[in-house]
Amino acid sequence: MKGDRKYIFMFLLPAALLMSAFVYYPFLKSLYLSFFRTNGFFDKKFVGFENYTRLFTDSQLGAATLHTLEIMLYVIIFQVGIALVLAVMVDNISKGKGFFRTVFFFPIVISGAAISLLFVLIYNYQFGLLNGFLAKLGIEKILWMSETGSLKAIAVPTVWHYVGFYFVLFLTAMSKIPSDFYEAAKLEGITGFKKTIHITIPLILSDIKVVLILAITGTLKVFDFIWILARGQNGTEVLGTYMYKKAMVDLNFGYGSTIAVYIVVFGVVLSLVTNRLLKKEDITY
Amino acid sequence: MSKRSKMLLAVSMASMMLLSACGGGNNGNSGNAESGANAPANNAAANNTEKEAEPPAEAEPVSLRVFSTFGGTDAARESFQALIDEFTAKYPNVTINNDTMSANDDSFRTKVNTDMNSGNEPDLLFYFVGKDAEGFVNAGKVVPLDELLEADATWKNGYLPTALEAVRQPDGKIYAAPLTGFYEGLFVNKKIFADNGLELPTDWAKMTAAVKALSAKGIIPLSGPFDQSHYLIEHAILSGAGAEGQKSGLANGVNPDWETGLAALKELYDLGAFPKDAATIDLGMAANYYSQGLAAMIIEGSWALGGFEESVRNETTVLPFPTVPGGKGTGKDIVGGFGTGFYLSKKTFDDAKKKDMAIALMKHLTSPDAIKKVSEANGGTPAADVQPEGLGQATLDGFKMAAEATSINAPVDSQIDPETFTTIRAGIQPIVKGEKTPKAALEEAQKIEASKQ
Repeated sequence: MKGDRKYIFMFLLPAALLMSAFVYYPFLKSLYLSFFRTNGFFDKKFVGFENYTRLFTDSQLGAATLHTLEIMLYVIIFQVGIALVLAVMVDNISKGKGFFRTVFFFPIVISGAAISLLFVLIYNYQFGLLNGFLAKLGIEKILWMSETGSLKAIAVPTVWHYVGFYFVLFLTAMSKIPSDFYEAAKLEGITGFKKTIHITIPLILSDIKVVLILAITGTLKVFDFIWILARGQNGTEVLGTYMYKKAMVDLNFGYGSTIAVYIVVFGVVLSLVTNRLLKKEDITY
Repeated sequence: MSKRSKMLLAVSMASMMLLSACGGGNNGNSGNAESGANAPANNAAANNTEKEAEPPAEAEPVSLRVFSTFGGTDAARESFQALIDEFTAKYPNVTINNDTMSANDDSFRTKVNTDMNSGNEPDLLFYFVGKDAEGFVNAGKVVPLDELLEADATWKNGYLPTALEAVRQPDGKIYAAPLTGFYEGLFVNKKIFADNGLELPTDWAKMTAAVKALSAKGIIPLSGPFDQSHYLIEHAILSGAGAEGQKSGLANGVNPDWETGLAALKELYDLGAFPKDAATIDLGMAANYYSQGLAAMIIEGSWALGGFEESVRNETTVLPFPTVPGGKGTGKDIVGGFGTGFYLSKKTFDDAKKKDMAIALMKHLTSPDAIKKVSEANGGTPAADVQPEGLGQATLDGFKMAAEATSINAPVDSQIDPETFTTIRAGIQPIVKGEKTPKAALEEAQKIEASKQ
């Protein structure tokens, strides 16, 4: 085993280098910058914890956090939920599995920005697809991106975009369940919904846990949909867009970095909490 | 195990060598290809007999990156490309990378600043003057052009002196060679006004009357987004505070005249002036509403004209934004001037190989002839004493407005910190909805501005 050491090291090195260059270094640099007051790109001054004081009194950040949590709720209920339902259904059919797998997975290969632009044209008040349809029916136009409805409207493409990813994860997990479980269940007369609830779901619980953590941390990265559809207006500002605005639009890298650090801490805390909540003996087969 | 890993190692080493060998080969090939292509080019250059800056017979290949906003949907995109082609035809040893990005987006500023800060400066940069450029100007990333201008009388005399004065940085030096200027104003669709029997909005009473009548008929009176509300804010503040007042900035407290200006936006909103989805649309969509004839007015800049549908463009006239009630503006104050120009990066200036060609290119792109061509394309005010031809009526109306203006002002956002300005932008929706007073919104922005000092 001793001789393996250098090979282990050698094979880990490329990944470690890439991670350091693109994850750890930027993170540490953000941490460093969060202690500075920056003015554009060329001027910075050490200010200690001033940015952090601002962080805790920033009402916009509080709102952005709540909006992120709201999207997270939609993602957990609908994205993961729909993916699970679809996976159960596709798992139960004997023909055309491959077809549905491809169809449901497809939205993921489209970039979020392209989908967002599509939805700009769907939701547009003046000549959007939905309002055009309503006008044909003689119903009054609806302001889809309203002050109360914008976040929900944006949640639709956000959820739709990634359903396929979790669907495939669930489907793969289900295909790993040995068929003797189902055969035994069949002999006992357990079929349909009962089978799903008592056999399939408990057996893929560890995968559901992984998917939930992926979904929760993924929500922290939501940016393109919000930015393109509403620019963070009408109560749609999330952590990603707020950080971008502060750092890139306002060129306040100090405070932007502070928000970035906050997002990382927030994400870690959330995944720890999720892990704790879902802590249960894993079932192995 | 150990044997196996050794073999793996050997295989990976071998493949690595193979790869690097391939890489080397490629480099060699491309190098050859380039010099091959340039050989006849050099000959052509040698045959070329030009008066100015004659390229040396054995001119070395030079590659220059020009970063500008003349791309995408910009009206002057083709004219600009033609100017560059002219230059490369004259100097075949020069390869120009015409790198562009839309200025409509905040990310243009970000890209420029990132490039400037990370040693990736373009050789020539077309960018804003004033506060926007302060960072890289003060950091010495670009060279002052004063000496170059003094040294070349033809170049300098090609310019209108006022245009050169307009691009002077606060330190008294000129860093940017201007091309065309701009004006902003209230673009009005005359046809919509005539069809509805309305008078053009030359004063506030006519403006509010028009807004009322149009909004009752389901026509968007004034197309404009709340988030990218740069032009709305600039004009509201200019009209409220007047030419002098808008220069006061925010560092030393809130000027109450600024509040007057922003309060007028609320009055317009209450009359139904803005699109229903003003909160979430961007500038592009707002311009689209006007361009499609769905909106009767929009506050835009001279550069936007070329992008409008021809039928709407032909019906467009340009007016100054009327003075708001209680405002100090004359009603003929406009936002405009020479807000952009070509910068020459210090890195290129110090690079003996690139320096001469970069300067020659800059002079070529800012010659009176070039200025004429670009202003004919984008309807901007020329920085040289030339008469652009073939301009539409709307552009001429715009020039007339600029000629009759009592003052031509730099936009207010060029005088305050970007974060301060976004804070005002973020305050527009709450202000017009009555959730925040203009005073509260400006005080919030003032705090940000003060923290930057």
